[in-house]
Amino acid sequence: MKRNTLVLTAVLFILAIFAWAGWANFEYRKQAGARLLASVAKAELVPDKDGGPPQFVTPLMGKSAPEFSLEDLSGNKVSLGGYKGKAVLVNFWATWCGPCKIETPWLIELRNQYAAQGFEILGVSEDELDRDDAQKLGAEKQEIARFVQQMHMPYPVLIGGDSISEPYGGLDDLPTSFFVDRGGMVVAAQVGLTSKDEIEGNIKKALGK
Amino acid sequence: MGIEDGKLLELKDGMRAAAAVAMGLAGLLAQGQMSAGRSIAKAAPVEFLYPEQVTVAAGKPATLALHFRIAPGLHINSHTPREEELIPTTFSIPEGAAVRLDKADYPAGTDFTLPLDPKEKLSVYTGEFVVQARIVASPGDHLVEAKLRYQACDNNACMPPRTITVAIDVVGK
Repeated sequence: MKRNTLVLTAVLFILAIFAWAGWANFEYRKQAGARLLASVAKAELVPDKDGGPPQFVTPLMGKSAPEFSLEDLSGNKVSLGGYKGKAVLVNFWATWCGPCKIETPWLIELRNQYAAQGFEILGVSEDELDRDDAQKLGAEKQEIARFVQQMHMPYPVLIGGDSISEPYGGLDDLPTSFFVDRGGMVVAAQVGLTSKDEIEGNIKKALGK
Repeated sequence: MGIEDGKLLELKDGMRAAAAVAMGLAGLLAQGQMSAGRSIAKAAPVEFLYPEQVTVAAGKPATLALHFRIAPGLHINSHTPREEELIPTTFSIPEGAAVRLDKADYPAGTDFTLPLDPKEKLSVYTGEFVVQARIVASPGDHLVEAKLRYQACDNNACMPPRTITVAIDVVGK
């Protein structure tokens, strides 16, 4: 009798393990599916058809640029929607990003060259901000401001870019730029350091040239 | 008595078999998760290699050589980058743990320049590097979840800073 009880317990235990394994497998497959979906939705580099350098392909291409409203260094809210009618380059960068530092002078030159035609750059900083610690937050903002001043960046620089990373594809690499036309559509995108000529070509696309 | 012993033995065998089935199932499942996860996830920029377990004299400082590997084509800032805004590589052990970090010694960085900015020299680690961590452990077996914070780049782009867990089983005797 006692033996039967123990055997029954063992069988129930095995069945419980099977049930757990089935549930865990289902959960795992669900998560794997979600990860796969996220990776598909992400922007990626794909080989160029004509044998040129790999092209950055984003699912945002031809779609409305995700709207955002972020603070600038003075605490003013700046939204992408406020630039409707202008061609905008949304440039994600960070103070710790060497390639961003190389690219910034090119952006400044191109911004000054095309501003009169209705072109603007929104520099979105991906630097981490400790919002719970006023002292640290102040120091981090100062660090960004120092960089902006040092580089003589004449366009709006927005902070807290990590809050809009997801709608823009995750932003695993910096710099990353999205070129938005006057109607608010994404017409080109770039990841990593490319060339001034390539950036200029994309600015012209955004301007409708 | 003898029969009961025999029954007990049979029972033990049954339980062992059940446990083996359960462990086998769990093991299979874990293996499936790991290999599928690896095939989906992007390779980690920095990986902790070893040691996974160390035995040290309890209450006395002991130095561990912690080996890390950086993915090919990437570099991370050394512990002493030349520019203030660059994020240094740092090793830490959470406060309050049974194992205390007394001191961490980092290797010197190697000079590195980006192809498009040959004037600016960076101090970086590439390939494998070793952090010498002097620890003091209390008696007992402790699973330490130390941290390594770094920021990785290649020649054209940078990834956001990351913190990885460096799991070491420290036995203080």
